Amino acid sequence: MSDIQITDNLLLQELEKRFKEKETAILELEKITEELKAVNAKLTASEQLKSHFIANINNEIINPFASVLGLSRSILEVKDNDWEKVKYMAKLIFVEAHNLDFQLKNIFAAAEIEAGSIYPQISRINIINLIEGVVLDFEKDLKSKRLTFELINNTKFEKDDFTYKSDPEKLKLILSNLISNAIKFSKGAKIIVTVWLEDGILAMSVKDFGIGISQRNKEIIFDRFTRIDTGINSLNRGHGLGLSVVKALLELFGGDIAIESKVGDGSLFTVKIPETDDIVDEDGFSIDGGEVFFVDGAELF
Amino acid sequence: MKKLFLYPAALYADREPTQIITILGSCVAVCLWDPVLKIGGINHYMLPLWNGHGLASPRYGNIAIEKLIEKMINLGSSHENIKAKIFGGAEVLEIEKITFNIGLRNIELAIEFLAEKKIPIISSSVGGKFGRKILYFSDTGEVRLKYVGKTKTKD
Repeated sequence: MSDIQITDNLLLQELEKRFKEKETAILELEKITEELKAVNAKLTASEQLKSHFIANINNEIINPFASVLGLSRSILEVKDNDWEKVKYMAKLIFVEAHNLDFQLKNIFAAAEIEAGSIYPQISRINIINLIEGVVLDFEKDLKSKRLTFELINNTKFEKDDFTYKSDPEKLKLILSNLISNAIKFSKGAKIIVTVWLEDGILAMSVKDFGIGISQRNKEIIFDRFTRIDTGINSLNRGHGLGLSVVKALLELFGGDIAIESKVGDGSLFTVKIPETDDIVDEDGFSIDGGEVFFVDGAELF
Repeated sequence: MKKLFLYPAALYADREPTQIITILGSCVAVCLWDPVLKIGGINHYMLPLWNGHGLASPRYGNIAIEKLIEKMINLGSSHENIKAKIFGGAEVLEIEKITFNIGLRNIELAIEFLAEKKIPIISSSVGGKFGRKILYFSDTGEVRLKYVGKTKTKD
């Protein structure tokens, strides 16, 4: 008799347990449904942004091109060896052309990443030289916003003793995007780039003292075609590909990116890039004699 | 013969016979092969579905397989001739990442997606606890596989 009593109790307990499990399952299902809805909304938005992008790209490419063409014509018409004037206009052409080049590099990188046809091309790079080169390209933008630039080398190496195996073009594009954003969203003062090594991994940070990024925007800035509206700068250039390209390139190297920012307090972007060991040829084939590996004992499928 | 090391999130298909090597942990590689034209292609994806974050790259299975099929068709393959082999999706433990069951989800996606596209899977080596290194001959469709036993794989 007492045995049955216990069984009844157990039965009730079991029933209660099952009901609870069912409740949790329903709750989880609701949560998953919510997430699905959010993803769905996001995908729809992404498609819409893509069509905006096609429209925007017109301005991004046609306008700088028109400037380059106009300026070149003006140079051709300069008389009396007015070198100062020529120099001035050549400088303007450089700025426009550099901007164009930068936009196109982002667009092509995004296209290559989305097509799955991007490969690291590794060589030994002088990191400090590379950063200085990138900054030099943005000199005019820095000047026009009255920004000073500071480069802090926190590695224990001197400039010319510090080399790192990675992909120089892709590192340049990552840095160009971070520096371009820092300039775009700065309000005077300066931009600081710091380089250091963390357990042998290259870390670089770009700090600006600009408008900062809200929590909500932090979640979307890596999405493609997303442009954060500054409200101040209605002529906010760019097509919203930059940071999504940065993130995808870092993923290619097994690196990552972190943001520290508060609205009105500036932003600090930190990227970490592990060193790529293999020097690979242009087809992305590692020269580690990988094929020898398969000579014996491999399973066939 | 042309040789290629396929990185994660990349995909490749070409008319030229190619030996492709890739290393898989929880990632999955789908090899598509057309026995009529004797051409093939391969992808290497890390996560099953694109969630709208970042770029729509072949890092995500649904995009990687769709694009690879598209590429094969562009190279002249007829849809009904295409065959698939799938590899990877191991249960490689990574403590710092909360990517639970990612290998399994990657495998499931390949099976479901290919079934939906009516592409038969003619052979596979998926799951388990070890990473894999595969060598794919795009002209014959042959795949040679070795387990990457105790070495750490992060893909």
